Amino acid sequence: MATTAAISITSDITDSVPFSVNASMTMYQAGTTLDLEETTGLAQRTFSGNTTQVVLLDVSALSQITAGGAVAHKVYIRNTGTDKTKGFKVFLADAADDVEEIGTLFGQDWLLMPWLASAAAEDIMVQPSSEEKMTIEYAVFHQ
Amino acid sequence: MATTTATLTLSSDMLSSPISISASSTLMKAGITEGLELIEMGRGTITENDDSKTAEFGLGTALGVDKAAKLFLVNKATDPTFYIDVDIHDTNIGRLYAGDWMFIPWGINDEASEIVIEAEPVGATCPYEFALFQEPQTLVAHS
Repeated sequence: MATTAAISITSDITDSVPFSVNASMTMYQAGTTLDLEETTGLAQRTFSGNTTQVVLLDVSALSQITAGGAVAHKVYIRNTGTDKTKGFKVFLADAADDVEEIGTLFGQDWLLMPWLASAAAEDIMVQPSSEEKMTIEYAVFHQ
Repeated sequence: MATTTATLTLSSDMLSSPISISASSTLMKAGITEGLELIEMGRGTITENDDSKTAEFGLGTALGVDKAAKLFLVNKATDPTFYIDVDIHDTNIGRLYAGDWMFIPWGINDEASEIVIEAEPVGATCPYEFALFQEPQTLVAHS
């Protein structure tokens, strides 16, 4: 049950020095070479009419996620819109419910990151920048 | 205009209907369609150090609120038990185990937006590589 992810980044920011990044990974359980075995599947959520911060991934609702200890969960989120002027701010809360902003996903931007999800408060939140219809897709791959 | 493109290819056969994700984004300045213009990349090695934060990206010259930056980080360790704990400010994002990578938008709003990395567990040594794409920074005044 392998889950693999590959990234390729090309840039001509430095046109005299070619730049590219290529990396791939197989998603393993923490500290092992055993494949991750569970996923939320690919989901989609559409926002319209508000620009408030909302919980996208609620740790306490995802009870199947192994809480605490050694985990190697991965989160994928993508702003499916094409408008580069609109974005979703992405936030992460810690166990004490202190919230940090990670960054903004503008149109077509995506992220793939680890997720500790070790306590009920460690949710991932998003905040659309516009009241117009905006859509996000996401998935969690977990132990 | 500089063009930087980040492409993700993700596949998972966990489900009876396999998940296949292809996502690509041209990385732009916040809210406009001009490409990012600044790139920093590097490699380092961090060693577990009695639970203290052993390394911190010194990249966090604050860009100001709501700017666009993207960070790629990979743990180049080969021992599957070695991982890099990744924090944003004092909130733990998660663990990058050997071979894992992450790609996130990074809102370098202020000094409290710093990314902090730490090798774990005891005895761990983790080589890492990073690439940061961002908007131009304001140069310091002549002294």
